[in-house]
Amino acid sequence: MNPVFVIAQEHVPAATDAFNAGELIMGHVSNSSLAHPLIHLPTMMGIDFSVTKHVFMIWLVAASLFVGLTALVRRAIRQPASIPGGSMNVLELVVEFVRDGIVIPSIGPKWAPTWTPLLLTVFVFILGSNLIGLFPIFDVLGLLSHYVFHFSDQSFLGKVIHGGTTPTGNFNVTAALAVVTFGAIILAGSMAHGFVQHWKNLVPKGMPAAIYPLLIPLEIMGMLVRPFALTMRLAANMTGGHIAILAILSLVFVLTEMMHTAVAGVGIGLVFSMPLAVAISALEIIVVLVQAYVFTLLSAVFIGMAIHAHH
Amino acid sequence: MGEAAGTAAVWQYAGAAIGMGLAVIGAGIGIGKLAAGVADGVARQPSAHSQISAATNLPLFLLEGVAILALVFCLLIVLLK
Repeated sequence: MNPVFVIAQEHVPAATDAFNAGELIMGHVSNSSLAHPLIHLPTMMGIDFSVTKHVFMIWLVAASLFVGLTALVRRAIRQPASIPGGSMNVLELVVEFVRDGIVIPSIGPKWAPTWTPLLLTVFVFILGSNLIGLFPIFDVLGLLSHYVFHFSDQSFLGKVIHGGTTPTGNFNVTAALAVVTFGAIILAGSMAHGFVQHWKNLVPKGMPAAIYPLLIPLEIMGMLVRPFALTMRLAANMTGGHIAILAILSLVFVLTEMMHTAVAGVGIGLVFSMPLAVAISALEIIVVLVQAYVFTLLSAVFIGMAIHAHH
Repeated sequence: MGEAAGTAAVWQYAGAAIGMGLAVIGAGIGIGKLAAGVADGVARQPSAHSQISAATNLPLFLLEGVAILALVFCLLIVLLK
């Protein structure tokens, strides 16, 4: 046997122990595999209903938003005369921002009452899902588990600590949201002009007949590209921040391994990684707000385009 | 892994990296021109500031969407071997 090959084989165990930044990042960003879900549920109609960590995070966001906002609004309704205070003020700010800042300018005052509830729901849900990725709740839980509680890997809590990512960083979640927008665009056009007229409106009238074979496929493609772009924009933005922060923090361990001394790693951590990671986290707060705004704004603009088809 | 497969993987990474750079150059030029236009417009007509920035938002986000799509496809080149 080739001596080089023997040496390479002897080094294999050491190589698997080495720090792998790519594996760490993908493990944090991607969904848990279907083989190890948080809660095992049976397969129905060929669909595995097991709860993975992103599904768990969606439920967490939806449940906390539903309970929190319902409690807030019910309390406000019980005392209708009083001036809204505290968190109710913030909620009214959000509602007015979506209605006056997004829906009315792009859809118009006539159809705004029809579409504000949907777009408000989308905005609040995306904002909540984006924000929950910024809170390191489950990473703190993981630290506690490592040093204090020692959850077993099989228990529910032991599986949950691998979670705690942004659910909107999953392309499937944003694809579902974009499908809702896609349906809303068609529904809006149908409600405003009738079902058949909506499809006719997609193509401008009064063109030379020779252009139509070129124009119709183009318009159909444009119709499908819009939700696709919505999907990619939100998910890629949400995943990108996590990848950037983890890659920069991974430099600490990569340099420690390369230089064979912890001083190099700690040094680069203090001088470069930590300040940059903090700066990116601050940038992420803006990105989180902007992406929720963008998704809602573009949905509103597309719905408005279906309603105000001036051709 | 054979020699040919190794070279192919290297080209794959190189292609993804070059594509990423081109996408970022394009997006940078686009956002730069947009920001220059906004600054120009606001300097000429400070009272129209809110209208100008409102009209800037939509093309800015569409531009960002295109750039992000390009980056996602670069990522797919690396991930889908």
